[in-house]
Amino acid sequence: MIVSKAFWKIVLKNIGAIITPTIVLLMFGTISASSTVTTAQYEACRPSIVIFNHDENVGLTKHFVEYLKKNAEVKTGYEDNDRLKDALFYEEVSVVVEIPENFHKDMALGHKPEIKMRSSAGYVAELSKVVVRRYLSVAEGYAATNLSEQALVEKVDAAITNDVETEMKSAVDTSKFAKASRYYSFANYTILSCFITIICLIMSSFNREQIRKRNLVGAIDIKKMNRILLKNCCVYAVGAWAFYVIVSFFTLGTDVMFTTQGLLYAANSLVFAAVATTIAYLVSIFALSAGAVNGLQNVLALGSSFLCGAFVPAEYLPESVLAFAHVLPSYYYIDANDRIMKIQQFDADTLLPIFLEMIAVAGFAVAFVVLANIISKKRQKIA
Amino acid sequence: MKNVIDVKHLTKSYKSNKAVDDLSFAVKEGEILGLLGPNGSGKSTTMNCILSLLKFEAGEIKIFGKEMAPDAYDIKTKVGVVFQDVAVFDELTVYENIDYFCGLYVEDKATRAQYVEDALKLVGLEENKSQYPKQLSGGLLRRLNIACGIAHKPKLIFLDEPTVAVDPQSRNNILEGIKKLREDGATVVYTTHYMEEVEILCDRVIILDHGKIIASGTNDELKALAKIEEKVTIEIPDLAPEKLAGFDKIKNVSEVEYDNGILKIVYRKGKNNLIDMMEYLKENMIQYNKIFSERPTLNDVFLELTGKELRD
Repeated sequence: MIVSKAFWKIVLKNIGAIITPTIVLLMFGTISASSTVTTAQYEACRPSIVIFNHDENVGLTKHFVEYLKKNAEVKTGYEDNDRLKDALFYEEVSVVVEIPENFHKDMALGHKPEIKMRSSAGYVAELSKVVVRRYLSVAEGYAATNLSEQALVEKVDAAITNDVETEMKSAVDTSKFAKASRYYSFANYTILSCFITIICLIMSSFNREQIRKRNLVGAIDIKKMNRILLKNCCVYAVGAWAFYVIVSFFTLGTDVMFTTQGLLYAANSLVFAAVATTIAYLVSIFALSAGAVNGLQNVLALGSSFLCGAFVPAEYLPESVLAFAHVLPSYYYIDANDRIMKIQQFDADTLLPIFLEMIAVAGFAVAFVVLANIISKKRQKIA
Repeated sequence: MKNVIDVKHLTKSYKSNKAVDDLSFAVKEGEILGLLGPNGSGKSTTMNCILSLLKFEAGEIKIFGKEMAPDAYDIKTKVGVVFQDVAVFDELTVYENIDYFCGLYVEDKATRAQYVEDALKLVGLEENKSQYPKQLSGGLLRRLNIACGIAHKPKLIFLDEPTVAVDPQSRNNILEGIKKLREDGATVVYTTHYMEEVEILCDRVIILDHGKIIASGTNDELKALAKIEEKVTIEIPDLAPEKLAGFDKIKNVSEVEYDNGILKIVYRKGKNNLIDMMEYLKENMIQYNKIFSERPTLNDVFLELTGKELRD
């Protein structure tokens, strides 16, 4: 068909205009994939403690010292006061605990013997104090019930060793999807830029008044011709989308893309490609010159990417900007990408918001098609 | 010969302005009809109404005996149009452009390839077929515009001022091409405000002004309306007032005008007026540089009928 032939020849002629945003996406994808994503590694913190025990090492005192040894690193060799001061200043030692004389007896009798503590300035020192106070609090609580010292030791021991069992419910490493999220969010710019450029340049060529007149006097139904053009625009859009998805397999890796999240990223970008096609179709009604196409492409692709968080994460954007971004389909596309990245479990709570955002983007596409048809019909009315 | 186009009582207005006012005319098969008139006289509007590019309030238009409509594709297949403004794709080469517009009428690839070659040959663009429109001069671009409109070998061709802003070489090429199309059997409607082209090309001329036909006929029939037999122009650098007065008394002279060393004399009747004039100049020892005679033009006809020049 001659119209399709002309369509693809014009695409090839304008291919240079879409190379730049595509290369930027490829570079971004490659850099993103090779960059190191910081992951938080948590491990138990063992504060350094120095114990000065002025009591006999028996009974509750012995149990208290053993508790401290278990929950902290007990350091020795700080008998010299100046050295101890330096150690506290430089945070070699977090807390110095002084157990007074007759500690175990006084505690068993229900008195509240004072434990003297000196600490450094860091947050670890505060943590150390919590460790000490925890023991004293439990011991004082049981001591008030008039137990024997042996019974008191047993009760305190049972209470402080009753650890809470924790279990990792999900082993999903969300950090690897952060790269995919960045790639697909950046694709907001590339898809909009490439689609608007190509579709507008082609449609503006066919919509130029003189060409349109010549097509109108031709022996082809103008409605059929418009359908052929629209069909080819869709073929181009699907082809370009498939290219960007295939590129993501190479830059992000199959371990990311051959997952449910990878499938969701691809599906989300397909819906966005649909809306980008309709935006380009709508813009082509107004942009009848290469200059106008270039200007509108910059405003729409760059503008929506900045406003909706494709370049700068949405959490760094002012609320007023984000409030405005809600009227743009890019916002829902990028937000859906972020949600896909954060998925820990696949259930209705995590998937429904993503699908709703995809539906919202599809809704924009329908609205743009309706708007384009209304404007186009008004413009094409014969005088 | 049967009528290819029948226009009856065509009326088209833009708001309160009547662009075409109760226009009726016919175009016979195989003729070249010239639609002549100044800018805004309704030539292009008439053509656009005939092609169903414009709706009109009243009238009837038939092409090849059938009523013309936007979806009359059986008629459109046999019609070719060359618009005033160049209508080609900048992204396609000369060959691809002609192929595209020919393809709107001819589906068969082999036939189309032959037609495109024929069109290239007709307008003399064989050597430019791989070039893009931006690489062509204004004249060559106009030729491409024509090739795009006629490549499918239509039976009826509309040409809307195809030689505007064209160099003389391209103009001659275009005019020769149009003659060739007629020789091949096409009927041509040629819209222009260049009276010289109409005189060279057209079998019949319709002169329009303010959307109405003010005269129609062959060149000779129209020139008969001008009431001028001959115009003689003489370049005389110094002409004394008493000698200028003498020209009025020469036989058959009806108007004398002298300005900037150019003497213009209009004869309403008579034969061999130029020979008589040269003898007069010799007898009165009036020195002149150049002298030439011309027959009345369609511009004179237009002047006679409307009181204004065609290019006003």
